[in-house]
Amino acid sequence: MNDWTIILRSLRARLFSTVTTVLMVGIAVALMLVLLTMRGAGQKAFERGSGDMHLLVSADDSPLVAVLNGVFYANPPRRAMTWAKHTEIARSAPFAYAIPTQIGDNFEGIPVLATKPEFFTKFRPNPGEAWALADGRFFEKSFEVVLGAQAARQSGLQIGSELHLTHGMSPLPAPKGEDHDDHEHDENVHNEFTYTVVGILEPTGGSHDRAMFTDLTSSWIIHAHEKRKRAAGAEIPPTTEADLTDADRLITGMYLRLITREGSDVASNLPQVFDQLRRDPTIVVAAPRQEIDKLFRIVRNIDTLFFAVAVVVMISSAVAIMLALYNSMEQRRRQVAVMRVLGASRGHVFGLIVTESALIGVLGAAVGVALGLGGSMVAAEVLQSRVGLAIDPSLPPGLILYMVLVSVLLAAAAGLIPAMMAYRTSVAKNLRPMA
Amino acid sequence: MNSTSTEPARASAGAAAAPALVIRDLSFAYPATSGDGDQPTRWSLTIPRLEMARSEQVLLSASSGAGKSTLLSLIAGLMDPDSGSVEIDGQRIHALRGAARDRFRGARVGVIFQTFNLLVGFSALENVMAALYFGGVPEREHASRARELLSRLGITREGALVERLSVGQQQRVAVARAMACRPALVLADEPTASLDPENAGVAMELVQGVCKEQGAALLCVSHDPSMAARFPRRESLAGLSGASAAEDRRPA
Repeated sequence: MNDWTIILRSLRARLFSTVTTVLMVGIAVALMLVLLTMRGAGQKAFERGSGDMHLLVSADDSPLVAVLNGVFYANPPRRAMTWAKHTEIARSAPFAYAIPTQIGDNFEGIPVLATKPEFFTKFRPNPGEAWALADGRFFEKSFEVVLGAQAARQSGLQIGSELHLTHGMSPLPAPKGEDHDDHEHDENVHNEFTYTVVGILEPTGGSHDRAMFTDLTSSWIIHAHEKRKRAAGAEIPPTTEADLTDADRLITGMYLRLITREGSDVASNLPQVFDQLRRDPTIVVAAPRQEIDKLFRIVRNIDTLFFAVAVVVMISSAVAIMLALYNSMEQRRRQVAVMRVLGASRGHVFGLIVTESALIGVLGAAVGVALGLGGSMVAAEVLQSRVGLAIDPSLPPGLILYMVLVSVLLAAAAGLIPAMMAYRTSVAKNLRPMA
Repeated sequence: MNSTSTEPARASAGAAAAPALVIRDLSFAYPATSGDGDQPTRWSLTIPRLEMARSEQVLLSASSGAGKSTLLSLIAGLMDPDSGSVEIDGQRIHALRGAARDRFRGARVGVIFQTFNLLVGFSALENVMAALYFGGVPEREHASRARELLSRLGITREGALVERLSVGQQQRVAVARAMACRPALVLADEPTASLDPENAGVAMELVQGVCKEQGAALLCVSHDPSMAARFPRRESLAGLSGASAAEDRRPA
């Protein structure tokens, strides 16, 4: 027999109250952990993706939609821009890069970004960090595909794998009467053209991890072929680059970066270029950082609501702990009185009760960390699949330590009240037979 | 009725050994409590002298509310008297302070309660071991001593939680726990009140037998008339208090 046996037996004697209290503490801890982790990780994941671009141009309805579609692959952009417009914009200011992008096709739900090789050589997915290959090489010619880290994992494709893209998420203005909602429909699979995987990227922590990348020309070819086939109403020989017309050369967006001084991210002429581009009514110009800030202002309201819910859970769990302690008080007083008769000093009993409460805090924190890990994995999965945010589901060790410490101290503090009562308790009074 | 002056001569533990219990001029006044109606009542307890030899067994009868629980609490050092002294096994218990007094009580005084007051959630064995632990017995002796005592008292399901045992079995565990540290004095507060007459007889046989075996003095408080025959020495609280027993009613 020692103090630990006594504490464990005492917890067992109030098993129901022990378990409910531990669960209450655990849920509150888990909620706080997930909330705090997701808040930090979510913002970080959002800030990535737009990489080192200054401006995003598209024909979407609003700048925010342009960013959500063009950077986070939320939906295929609904309107396209011509190649002539691209050339006009690219020449309008001293850009470090003006990379054309086209989003619309997919492979088993993985969005495909058709672009030019500059996407890999000039655009940086995280400021200061260039693209890195886990395997293979970047695409060099038509019908070659490079996979984002998560897209590779999700699809199981490897270097040399061959695939057909699905033209489901119609990015290009569809002819009237055409139904493009059915993504998986056979007619929408570009069966005539086979792509080959040539490279797999290292993770960037941003939205591009869940996409695949291919050459813009091949994308033009497959869409031109579809169009010609529909016009002819019969099988036709495969379309080649030579068959392309200006009407085929469509893009859905442009990544722009102005020339800056070495090592600086600030371009002094950015406001000027921004205003100039905004005057063109056929396009939408977005500064991704600003749009992400705007998005976070919207999200923050939800975040505040979430936080309020967490606080309410904390308060109600504190009330539940108090209630559990109060309900067990009669039994506990008797137990304390018996231990005093058996020779335990006031200080000893005080220590036993505070330790017991702190132990509830430890158990609650352990349950909370386990629930929190599971919860943040689920949250990361949901955010990944629904919003395209790549979030690291692991909990920061510092945060875990902090939450464990807080819950143990709080639980010990909650135990102080009954411990004080036990300290002062009249042994004689509490040993009388129950009325 | 007061036969304390003749008792020490019969002490069996030898001349050098101190008596199990010596009470001298003990007095304690209850704080005023509100009685029936609006008259606050003030009670006081006075024991000029009570002495028990080693291994002696005394039955103390008291009408309910006469202060027997208070007397037991005073003897066990759970309450402080206004004046006078209580000496157990040669040690004035109220001279000890705080943890030292608790330790002394754990080691030298065993208590058996009417409702047993066993530790719920603890097994029979653990209840006895808890007494050994708080009584300062080294941990390595706990299991063997507790087992020995429980088997002597006829408890076979030593690992069962006490709340799962029958009332009679619980009583035996309570006796084992009181005897665990080989006390000099055992205080029994209505030890049979929760038992039927047949079990009560068996239980008293057991309590008295074990106390004799271990050389512990037994002070048994009860108002059960059937107990009288079991004790050669009988006292009453009123008799011990003598003329000074007072119920002092004062107007508010």
